Parts: sequence; C-alpha cells; structure tokens
Amino acid sequence: MTGQTSSRAEIPVLSVRDLEVAFPTPDGDVQAVRSVGWDVYEGEVLAIAGESGSGKSVSVMAAMGLLPATAQVSGSIAYRGRDVLAMSDKDLERLRGSSISMVFQDPMTSLNPVMAVGAQIAEGVRIHQRVNSRTARSKAVELLDLVGIPNPGQRVDSYPHELSGGMRQRAMIAMAIANDPDLLIADEPTTALDVTIQAQVIDVLERAREATGSALVIITHDLGVVARIAHRILVMYAGRAAETGMADGVFERPSHPYTAGLLGSIPRLDAPKGTRLIPIDGAPPSMLAPPPGCAFAPRCPRATPLCSQEIPELRPIGNQQSACHHGEDQYNEDEDV
Amino acid sequence: MLGFATRKLLISIVVLFFATLVAFLLVATVDPIAEQRVFLLSQPGGAEQVQRLEANLGLDKPLIERYGSWLGDLFTGNMGASTDNGRDVTTLLGEAIPVTMRLVIAATVVSVILGVAVGVVSAVRQYGAFDNISTFFAFLFFAMPVFWLGAVLKDLGIRFNDWWGRRIFFTIGEQSPRLEADFWGTWADRAGHIILPALTLLLIQLAATSRFQRSAMLDVLESDYIRTARAKGVPRRRIITHHALRNALLPVVSFTGLTFGTLIGGTVVTEVVFNWKGMGRLFLESLLNGDVAVTQGWLLAVGISVIVVNLLTDLTYGLLDPRVRDG
Repeated sequence: MTGQTSSRAEIPVLSVRDLEVAFPTPDGDVQAVRSVGWDVYEGEVLAIAGESGSGKSVSVMAAMGLLPATAQVSGSIAYRGRDVLAMSDKDLERLRGSSISMVFQDPMTSLNPVMAVGAQIAEGVRIHQRVNSRTARSKAVELLDLVGIPNPGQRVDSYPHELSGGMRQRAMIAMAIANDPDLLIADEPTTALDVTIQAQVIDVLERAREATGSALVIITHDLGVVARIAHRILVMYAGRAAETGMADGVFERPSHPYTAGLLGSIPRLDAPKGTRLIPIDGAPPSMLAPPPGCAFAPRCPRATPLCSQEIPELRPIGNQQSACHHGEDQYNEDEDV
Repeated sequence: MLGFATRKLLISIVVLFFATLVAFLLVATVDPIAEQRVFLLSQPGGAEQVQRLEANLGLDKPLIERYGSWLGDLFTGNMGASTDNGRDVTTLLGEAIPVTMRLVIAATVVSVILGVAVGVVSAVRQYGAFDNISTFFAFLFFAMPVFWLGAVLKDLGIRFNDWWGRRIFFTIGEQSPRLEADFWGTWADRAGHIILPALTLLLIQLAATSRFQRSAMLDVLESDYIRTARAKGVPRRRIITHHALRNALLPVVSFTGLTFGTLIGGTVVTEVVFNWKGMGRLFLESLLNGDVAVTQGWLLAVGISVIVVNLLTDLTYGLLDPRVRDG
C-alpha cells in the first residue's frame, strides 16, 4: 500500500525532529514530549493518535509557537526548511494563520463570543492579505458557504452563541482555511461534538483540505474517526512515538501492542458478530517521572523484563516503524487473524 | 438591541415604583414626634395637643392614604417642604444634586478610565514592576476608610499650599463663597475645589476597579478564543485591544454599576469632610433635624440615580455582549 501515496513531494511541509517539550512545575518537570519526530507532506493527511497526555497536542502547539512561555523546547521544527523554533514573534505571526493554521477542539469556547463569526473570519483575511473590508467580508461569506453553512450571507453576521456546535466548528474550519494555508492542523476537531456531527465535520475538513491543497494533521484519541481520511498514522504514547506507518497498514497489522490495544477498544462494523471490545488496563504513566524502560510496559500484555529496562527505539517492522521490543510478534500475530 | 433596551427600561420603571414605596416607608414608619409625644402626654390636656399635632402632620390618616397623597404630590413635582426651614424639597434637591453630581461624575469617569488602563497593563505585564507597584497601591487605598483618606488629603493639600506659597488646593466648600468671576473663572475655581474630594473618592474606587480589571483581563487572556486569535496570526497588540479588552470590560461594567451605591455613601462622608453643600450634607442635616419630607425626597432621588446608573450599566453591557442582548 505504501507506493500509492506517491503524490507526496520530496520536501515535507513540516518536519519535526527530536522534539522535546517539558513544563516546569513545583513538583518537577513534566516531560510532555520526549523525543518525537514526524513529517507531513503536501496534500497528505497525517493522523496523530494517542490518549490524553500522550503529547500529541503539545507537539503541534510547539509547531505553531503557541506553547506557554514557560515551556522548555528542544529539537527542531522546520516549516519548508525554515526553523520555526528560531523565528521571531513577527515571523511567527506572519506564519500563523497564513501558512499553518489550526482548528481547535472546543468550538464553544474557541470563538470570540462578542465578535460575529464573519468578522472573525474576515479579520484573519485582512491580517494576511491586502484587501479592503468589503472584500474580506465577501470572502468570509464564500468560506462559510464552502464549509457547508446554510444561508452564509446571513450567518456571516451571526454571533457564535447563535450557532450550533457543528456549525461553530465549520466556522472555525472556514477561519483556518481563509488564507489557503499549506498546512492545516486540527486538534481533536470532533471530540466536543455530538457523534452524529463528527463524520460531517471530518468531511468538511477533508473538503477544506482539497479546496486549499494543504496538508492536514488531525490529532485524535479516536482512530475510528479518522480511519476514512488518514493517509498516515503516528501513534504516540507517553510523549514518544509508539508506531508510525501508512494508515491501511497500521489498521490491518499493528506492530505495537499499544496500537493493537487502541484498535481493540474501538467498535468496528467489519468485526465478527459477538466480538467484545477490549479495554487497555491501567492508566498512562506520570510524566513527572516516566518509567525507565518502555513507558507502556506496565500495561502491556507482551512485556518482558527487557521492556522495563531499555527504551525501545523506533525501527522498521513490516511496512511500519514500531518502538516495541516485541514488535515482530505483534505484527505477525495479526497476520493470522 | 431595541427590544433589550425596552425590556430593561420597563423593569426599571417597576423598580422605580418600589423605590418610592421603600423611600416612603423607611421614613413614614418612624414616629417624627416621638419625643414630644412622651412629654405632652405627661402634661394635663396633652392628649388633645398630640391629636392636633398628628392632624397637622397627617399622621392620623392610614399609611396607605399617606403614601397615596405623597405619590400624587410627587407627580406634580411637589415633594413637600422642609420642616426645618420651610423651603421646598424640590428646590433643596435642585441645589444639592448638581454639586454632588460634579463630584460623583468626576470620580467615576476618572476611576473607570484609569482603572481599566492600570488593570490592563498590570495583566499584560503580570508580576512586572508596574504590576507590583500598582498592586501595592491598590491594597493600600482599598484598605483606607473614606473619612481618613479625606482628612489625610486635606492635610497634605494644605501643606502643599504652604510650601508652594500659593493656594492650589481648596479644602473647604465646593466653590469660593461670594465668587465674582466669568464662566471660565467659575469653573477654574470649582476645579480647584473638586480635586481633593474627587481624589478621596476615586483613589478607593480606582483601587477596586483596577484589581477587578486585572483579574478579568488575566482570565480572558487564558481563554481559548485568545489562543484562536493567536493561531490566526493576529498581532499581540491587536489581540489585547480587539479580542481581550472587550471581553474583559464586561465584569468591570457590572462592577461599576453595582458599586455606585457605595460611591454615594462615600460621597456623603467626603462632603462632610470637605464641607460641601451637596447631597451628603443635605441628607445628614435632614436626619439630624428629623426633617421627614427632605429625607424622603433624598432617598427617592438617590434611589432614582441608582436605578438610572444600573439601567445605563445594563445597556452598556448589552452593547458589548451580544449574548445578553438576545437573552
């Protein structure tokens, strides 16, 4: 399956290398991200999956320069070869919203309550493009139409509280694509929404990506939501990459027990009748003092003494890359199923 | 917005009606001739004298009837006359209100503008030098009683005048007595008189407003929609002026409306300290003299001003926040 996404260009839109992020707290440093690397290429959809606290949001916030000032960041994040971490505030402001833009988790709180949605979209247009307010406004109407908001000519003057959650998230997406970004990042875009709306919003994201030709990074804890549109998947656990590979491959034959656990815990329509969902026992480790070996070892059915001593590095297993000492066993098990 | 304004106006009218009732009852339920009654009843033939006194003051009629006639007179602009000096209550209020208004408006306008500015700068540069200094002074002034701050400022003003060799600050009255001056001269004289009392009122108000604005601003700066604005590439200055400030003004608007009553209380004290012939003096004298009509008129006038200020607060809030408008 790997050969089919040959549409990717040689240079990634965004390239993250050896990223480490820590937040100082009175109890010690919280190591939110512990050496993570990923690339996203033009036109590609990358899903970053993992549970709360796995560092998935933090790694993209770093790419946007949106981490709090207290965060300690090392490694490199390159947007088309330019180091984002070394950029001045002015350069970052120019980058954000025009080259890289972002859709947030909670559309209820992510829109300014005292500004009409159209004005919020038009503001983004006017900051990055030399247009007058009338042009910006009609661009806002156009964008609202693109993301499937009915009566965009009227809705442009609506305030956030007058829109439903799904409509607000559409407005957020419209705002994010207003300047034809190269990279669209969606941080848990469907988590705060009703299940019935989730698929629609994913469709709108996919449509927005096609309309702008941008790359799309979707952060999610629910692999089921992104299964349809993701090209590539990065699974994170406790601030590190657990597994990465083409979406089809990861779904078919996970090569990390954590990925297998994630997949086993979501309902599937194609599973045989009577199949039970399997929860992952235990809770993620404290990021104040992560375990010395594999962070997943305490919860892992395949754990051996080696796992709690040595951190497994990411290495090729099958068509994926897996950070598991027993990745081959996992990979081969799923072949039999 | 029009519907919202109409709704608020109608509510204000209902509240106004209750204000007249309360202003009346607060005074009418107290016996204005309590002392005379005790004395007269101990004298032979005193009972008739008491009856005559009651009939004169209308105290023999039932409460509801007295309220009705008081309210009826109100509508014709007649609030009765002072039992102390026989002057119309309407005239007395007409003289006192503009004097006090000058003080209240000056203190409110300056404390709101400065309070918002200080609060915003403190929040944006949290724990910076400016923030720490303004925090210190906010707590200092907030902890001061009005009468004490007034007395201290008065003293400082006099010392300053002596040191300067010229009278800059006036410490007695709202304007110089027997002042013969043109329009500008009058206002210049009034300005010299208003500085210290206004400062007394506004320093305390400013302390509270700036703390309030600071915490509102800090809350807003943490919010998701500010992060959205940053993610959009909105420059920092514009985020503060266009996104954060408007949202952070909302609690301060409510606060200013709510503390207006406290400010009036502070005015009464300040006027006494600086010998102003405004509403504060009028109230105190009417209470000391048992001047029923004046006390009632005063309570009503202050009640109306509180209602009007709260109406203005609501309308401002509605202008700033679309959610309130539709609610």
